[in-house]
Amino acid sequence: MKDIKLRIRSMESTRQITKAMEMVAASKLRRAQENVARSRPYFEILYTTVCDIASGSDSFTSRYLEAREVKRSCYVVIAGDRGLAGGYNHNVLKLAEAEMAGKNAAVVPIGKKSVENFRAHGFDILTDAWWEAGDVSVSDCFTMAKDLCARFLAGELDEVNIVYTNFVSILTQQPTVIPVLPLHGPEVRGEEPGSETLYEPGSEAVFDAIVPEYLGGLIYGALCESRASEQGARRTAMDSATKNAEEMIGDLSLKYNRARQGAITQEITEIVAGSTAS
Amino acid sequence: MAEFDLEIVTPDGLMFSGKAESLKVRTVTGDVCILPNHINYLTALGMGEAKIVSEGVARRAACIGGMLSVRDNRVRLVPTTFEWSDEIDPARAERARQAAEEKLSHRDTLSDQELAVAEAKLKRALVRRSVAGMK
Repeated sequence: MKDIKLRIRSMESTRQITKAMEMVAASKLRRAQENVARSRPYFEILYTTVCDIASGSDSFTSRYLEAREVKRSCYVVIAGDRGLAGGYNHNVLKLAEAEMAGKNAAVVPIGKKSVENFRAHGFDILTDAWWEAGDVSVSDCFTMAKDLCARFLAGELDEVNIVYTNFVSILTQQPTVIPVLPLHGPEVRGEEPGSETLYEPGSEAVFDAIVPEYLGGLIYGALCESRASEQGARRTAMDSATKNAEEMIGDLSLKYNRARQGAITQEITEIVAGSTAS
Repeated sequence: MAEFDLEIVTPDGLMFSGKAESLKVRTVTGDVCILPNHINYLTALGMGEAKIVSEGVARRAACIGGMLSVRDNRVRLVPTTFEWSDEIDPARAERARQAAEEKLSHRDTLSDQELAVAEAKLKRALVRRSVAGMK
């Protein structure tokens, strides 16, 4: 009986913790969702604009557009800082590792879990300056993008991909890979004749200025999505943990009550038996 | 009066969406003014003041980095930061300027990267201050 009582008590404190974590995740999720909603138009306009330019780029070439033979690829992998978020970290890291299998790949991990994972598995880490995904700001994204673009132009990297978790809804998060460099225009797009574009100070100079900006924007967008996904995943995981704890507490109380009842019944029988005997 | 569609988006959200009559921004090579029916155009933005005339009202803003694209009379301004003049806190801009100048005053101790960051900060603070100051 005492055992059961103790177990009930420990389950109760676990439930309290998971319940609190769920509520924290829910409120953080709300903020992260607002963030995603705010940054999405930027993300989309940036993307369509650059695609427009890339698809209408017959008139010029840029080093950002050429697809080279891939000798070394780079993956920016965004995961969370903390565990206890269901399959969130695991899924995105597994996808990243599957993508990198068999390639000469370098990693830019963002988030504590991502850094730890790639370090433990001996991957080639370009930089681990972005240790905490929660602390990365817009300007950090632009610094990172500038660095990656410089390495890309220097021929150190031949392709750049971002691996992140797409926030589909509160209940579904999809780990995703998007290739960012070299730039890909959409395959078929009705090219309107005569839609010539004026580039100032020159197509290549414009491209050189815009691409790091574009990459930074994409990384930031992916980061926002990932953060929202992390909170979503944690909320769901904690919600089910709380439910499980409640169920177990229910089971255990039933057992406890039965045992108590049994003990009382036994005591009464003993007393009754004793009094009839005398 | 002729108009064009203007969208201004930053990582912090949609700042403006609607019809405008003219848009003046500072690009990497200097100020340009976009009027309706501009040729398709693409350029990178510098750091400076932006002036938007919409429905006869002119609004000013500090507009830094990013790009400007014009396509079929649709203008998209995609800056890194964009603040309307009435949203800038002049005191904060002034403090940022002082902090940046303070940092630059002993430039020998800074690495190249720190120097670049401090210089960018100073420029940004100056732009914001001048935009906020001339209300």
